[in-house]
Amino acid sequence: MSSHRKQPKSLKDISRPSEQLAHVDSLDLFPLPPPYDNPNDPPFKQLPQKTRDAFEASLDDTLVVGLPKPKTKEEEERLVQAFISGLRKLFTSENNWTFLQPLTLSMEHCARCQSCIDDCPYYEMSGHNELYRPTYRSEIFRRLYFKYVNPGVAGFNRMQNGDIELNWTLIARLLELAYRCTLCRRCAQSCPIGVDNGLITHELRKLFSSEMGITVKDLHEKGTVQQLKVGSSTGMSPIVVKDNIEFVDEDMTERTGIKVQTRWDVEGAEVLLLHNAGEILAWPDNPGCFALILDAAGISWTMSSDLVGYDGVNYGLFYDDVQLARIAYRHMEIAKKLKVKKIVMGECGHESKALGVIADRVFQGIPRETAMTLMADIVFSGKIKFDPSRNDFPVTLHDPCNLVRAMGVVEPQRKVLRYLAPRFREMTPHGVRNYCCGGGSGMAIMSQHNFMDWRLQVGGRKKFKQILDAFADEDLNSNSPKYLCAPCSNCKGQIRDLFDYYGAKAKSGLHYGGLVELIVNAMVDVKEGFINWDLM
Amino acid sequence: MTALYVLTWLAVSVLLLGVIARIIRILRMPLHLRWELYPVPHERGRAHYGGSRLEDVNWWTKQHNPDHVTELWTMLKEILLLKGVWEHNRPLWWGSFALHFALYLLIGVLALAVIGGIMVLTGSPAPPVLFAVIKILAWVAYSLGMLGALIMLWKRLLDPKLKLFTTGSHVFNLILLGAIDLTGLIWMIRDSEYAVSLTGFLAGLVTPTQSYDLSTVGYWHVSMVLLFFVYFPFTHMTHAFVKYFTYHSIRWEDTPNLPGGRLQAQINRLEGQVVTWAAPHINADGRKTWVDLVGETGEEKP
Repeated sequence: MSSHRKQPKSLKDISRPSEQLAHVDSLDLFPLPPPYDNPNDPPFKQLPQKTRDAFEASLDDTLVVGLPKPKTKEEEERLVQAFISGLRKLFTSENNWTFLQPLTLSMEHCARCQSCIDDCPYYEMSGHNELYRPTYRSEIFRRLYFKYVNPGVAGFNRMQNGDIELNWTLIARLLELAYRCTLCRRCAQSCPIGVDNGLITHELRKLFSSEMGITVKDLHEKGTVQQLKVGSSTGMSPIVVKDNIEFVDEDMTERTGIKVQTRWDVEGAEVLLLHNAGEILAWPDNPGCFALILDAAGISWTMSSDLVGYDGVNYGLFYDDVQLARIAYRHMEIAKKLKVKKIVMGECGHESKALGVIADRVFQGIPRETAMTLMADIVFSGKIKFDPSRNDFPVTLHDPCNLVRAMGVVEPQRKVLRYLAPRFREMTPHGVRNYCCGGGSGMAIMSQHNFMDWRLQVGGRKKFKQILDAFADEDLNSNSPKYLCAPCSNCKGQIRDLFDYYGAKAKSGLHYGGLVELIVNAMVDVKEGFINWDLM
Repeated sequence: MTALYVLTWLAVSVLLLGVIARIIRILRMPLHLRWELYPVPHERGRAHYGGSRLEDVNWWTKQHNPDHVTELWTMLKEILLLKGVWEHNRPLWWGSFALHFALYLLIGVLALAVIGGIMVLTGSPAPPVLFAVIKILAWVAYSLGMLGALIMLWKRLLDPKLKLFTTGSHVFNLILLGAIDLTGLIWMIRDSEYAVSLTGFLAGLVTPTQSYDLSTVGYWHVSMVLLFFVYFPFTHMTHAFVKYFTYHSIRWEDTPNLPGGRLQAQINRLEGQVVTWAAPHINADGRKTWVDLVGETGEEKP
């Protein structure tokens, strides 16, 4: 235990005004293996005093939501009352039928046994700072539930569930604390009772958004609202996305020697391909590879140029059910309009979960499947010839939480890798017991103030350690290429930032990409050397 | 003695009504969005690695054949052996297992004593072996329970991992359970006819003429058990049976909403509810339902 650590000593500390409830020093952090074990790594950037003066920043070292401080006591009181109102609505069928049963059962039956806490990478990597226990925020919320929603007999209730003082300090801290969890639900797997701390965090975010209109700009204004208005959370309009894809097609044709042409708005196609639009801008090889593979397999497919129809992102999943439903509704309507047989969700974990599983009980519509299943089916169909020796470099797989833990899509991607990547090795642990990249639930797109520092030093630390451990039999002091397959846009965003932060490409030859890039790289009909380490 | 019989009936009634009321409340909660968490043990041939039917191309065209035997086996291991605690919180398992397993054994003791009581009532004397089994089980249960309660109490009060989250109820629950076990143990030590007394007492519950006088410590023991019966339905200890719902209705609930299925009618009804969230982007006006709201963009009106 480090003397640098500052952490809450009790649950009630969250209501007690202080400059900062918790602090994680770089010396508290879980050590990384060599050559990343330098204890003199730069510490967190501190929040400037003027930021602390302007925003509610008394939780820890960083700031995600950045809520301006209320100007008057009356404003504070109004916000407190809005919080209580939202808390009560969260437990009504009309506002929250979507999660009422799971939430209520998680509120009322936790034994506080703490069996879940060691499964949380944030808690472990922070040096076991109490603030980041998955149960800390849940228990605060639980006490508020028993105080304001289900009070029963007051004295008996306090004896059963403890007490907490609700004030603006608590609410402002709880708001930020709702964004110190990636909703990976690893802790929920280890609960013997079935309590789900990830769900509780999700519901807390929903309360702030749906009742108080407070959330992270990247998720709401720049996320779902922009997507519904402009067509994509990236800001791409239909004209821009078509231009960009045209460029992708040309580039792919040139590099692979195979004509690639994306089809738009084809009625009656077998597959509506729905990418996370971030791929088109940040990792254009990925949609290009999809186009090439689907054509080579002789599948009739299309993309949609309708607003929202070319972006599978649905950040509503992370904070607001109404926004989630609005986007899912458009995806379903577009698929119906095109009369496609199915929607195939690209390499994006949260898109796959939102549309594949969650939206299943929002609207009945066109069937959906993940790209992992279709790609495995194509690879083993015999329609395409492969030369796995083209992928003769070390490969490991990052499991996106939403694909494995939330959908049970575990084996197809590994089946492909075992066949096409002769030097494939698993991380430990992997599959449904994987660790989050540290950027889950939209965290990967959040970088305001000094949050990038926190997200990489604490949030992504466990994943980075896992990646290094997976390549421990290779020379990590050499830049000979090593490939991390991360079939999820959000995870790739976080891994890109992690590798940049630690200089992992130059130092250890760590590169990352999706599954389809490895498939195309191994295709006999494609010019050799599709994966170009210098361009990655 | 009559008072104890009346209290017993009252306590059992509160227990049953409390448990039934909680179950009805859970069953009446609306259908929720899918929130399953893998591994889901009924996924035949895939549960061992956490896979699902969604791994199949065109999965909706394929027959789903859930494996209920594996599901039941998974649940039994969880309930009887506390597998989750063993795997994720080993230091707590020893005390927790002792406490929980003692309760299961006591339920067994009670069941055997009821059988013995029925025999008393029907005039066929209970065989000595029944009393012997009751005594052996009770010895193990009380001893194990005492040990478990003490270990857990120590953990709850002193273990830094737990004490931050310990409330008055945790301490009270453990003291109550420990007191049940302690009084039971003393009763057995002081009364060599413990099993006969217990069955006699239970027989007297339905036939006042069979009223059986308990020793003082027997009174105390039964009183503690009755207090537990009355208290239990209002505590988080109801996880004992709510666990069925958290597993089967949430964690393992993966029913897809396919055309012709039973879910869409429920969803239509739920989406017809009027939303009252107050944030501007929701744009609720006291009349709009979920269906009305999804067609909007979430832009705030100027």
